[in-house]
Amino acid sequence: MAQFRLPQMSRVQKGNYVAAKPGAKKVRKFKIYRWDPEIGGNPRTDTFEVDVSDCAMVLDVLLKIKNTIDPTLTLRRSCREGVCGSCSMNINGENTLACTKALDDLREGQVNIYPLPHMPVIRDLVPDFSHFYAQYASIQPWLKTDSPVGSRERLQSPKDRKKLDGLYECILCACCTASCPSYWWNPDRFLGPAVLLQAYRWISDSRDEATGQRLDELDDPFKLYRCHAILNGTNTCPKGLNPSKAIAQIKRLIAERTI
Amino acid sequence: MHNPRPISPHLGIYRWRINMVQSSLHRLTGLLLSAGAVVFTWGLIAAASGPHGWQLFAEFSGSAIGLVVWFAWIWALLFHLCNGIQHLLHSLAWDYGQQAMRDRTKNPSYWTTGWVVVGVSTVLTVLVWVLLVIRLTGGAA
Amino acid sequence: MSEFPGQSSVREPLKIARNWGASHTGAHHWWLQRLTAVALIPLTLWFLFFAASLVQLDYAAVLAAIGQSLHAFALILLTVCLYWHGMLGLDVIIGDYVHTRWLEVTLQIALRFGAFLGALATTLAVLAIWFARLH
Repeated sequence: MAQFRLPQMSRVQKGNYVAAKPGAKKVRKFKIYRWDPEIGGNPRTDTFEVDVSDCAMVLDVLLKIKNTIDPTLTLRRSCREGVCGSCSMNINGENTLACTKALDDLREGQVNIYPLPHMPVIRDLVPDFSHFYAQYASIQPWLKTDSPVGSRERLQSPKDRKKLDGLYECILCACCTASCPSYWWNPDRFLGPAVLLQAYRWISDSRDEATGQRLDELDDPFKLYRCHAILNGTNTCPKGLNPSKAIAQIKRLIAERTI
Repeated sequence: MHNPRPISPHLGIYRWRINMVQSSLHRLTGLLLSAGAVVFTWGLIAAASGPHGWQLFAEFSGSAIGLVVWFAWIWALLFHLCNGIQHLLHSLAWDYGQQAMRDRTKNPSYWTTGWVVVGVSTVLTVLVWVLLVIRLTGGAA
Repeated sequence: MSEFPGQSSVREPLKIARNWGASHTGAHHWWLQRLTAVALIPLTLWFLFFAASLVQLDYAAVLAAIGQSLHAFALILLTVCLYWHGMLGLDVIIGDYVHTRWLEVTLQIALRFGAFLGALATTLAVLAIWFARLH
């Protein structure tokens, strides 16, 4: 059976509590998932009281904890402006980027921060993306053509270019894929929303000559059709993209070419 | 790798929105309706098998358990029907309008339609039962 | 799934991601699920009224109602669509949750036989009532 409960060794235990420093102006509680591969054992959640008077985004708080309270707190981050997709994590139950999630947009009270759901954890808030990236590689995310290269670049009309809007913006942060229950139960065989949105990005590219082959390779009950349009991915996408719609369009294309 | 990696929490921490409720209920009602198909088959075989067989089925239908089954079946049918129509519309990839990028400051349209599905199916279930009760009491009078 | 994919120290993640490739059978399933769904919209709504009209009828009246040619025809259509649609739905549920291979395959086989038998038995029952009424 699919494991609806976490395996014994993955269940989260209560961790440390770090009170605010004296003189803190605006205190807010952050419960954060911790796991250290060198210690092993079960993961735990530490709770930090943080003075957020100089923090705007969740990422600011995490870096403040790392810099002033607990230097062992581990997370990925890079651009701090929602372009690189490194700091994807689960904040108050929904996957998003810590750098673009404003504290003011969260509900009142304690903030709960976990790594992206149902992923193997390397350390603290850092999940292992190697399978996710391999799935991305498996859809061959590049322009495939057989026509010989001419004297000029491969052109695209503005109308055809417009078809890539809402697709090319995907930064592969895996927020949608890690929010999808279908992916939780079948990560080995289902490609997941992010990779399927990327697949559709190449299917709908007017310059790509492998459209049929791409559709062939997706026509599979597990790779594509495990998507049951739960819409969690569309809900959670920090870039406002619509993987559910992209997947619906792939399914529609595959059906349309049989009629 | 010294220590095996844990799997991060999922169902236990994920925030439930209406779309996830709908999806779970669609599956649950689908299971109920599949069980209902067996009852449907029983009813028709009972009718074909003679007065005694039908008597058994009619007694079951009128019993407390039977009434609960019928109530659950009607609710399951109407929810699965309403939600199924939303699924069919989704299959056409029509439902989100022209916007390529969703405005994150606004709630997505399918939250509204999700509540409409829950609301309409509940109202219809109640309506069907009110009509049935009127018919039953009218028949008894 | 015993181990999370991509965590093997000896197998390349791409090998695991590609695995068996595509079986080219998904579209057919998807299409039939939607076709039967569309057919079931009018059929189930009709059945709701039909079933309600049978409440508190005596046996002879029930037989007469089921045996009416139009009703018998609709009931057979409903049976086929209902069992087909249900089979496709349960197939998906098994695929989603049952990961013990022998159990998964056994359930898939049992489901197909069960759906076929259920649909056949129901159809025969309706036909029997219909033929009996013709005499």
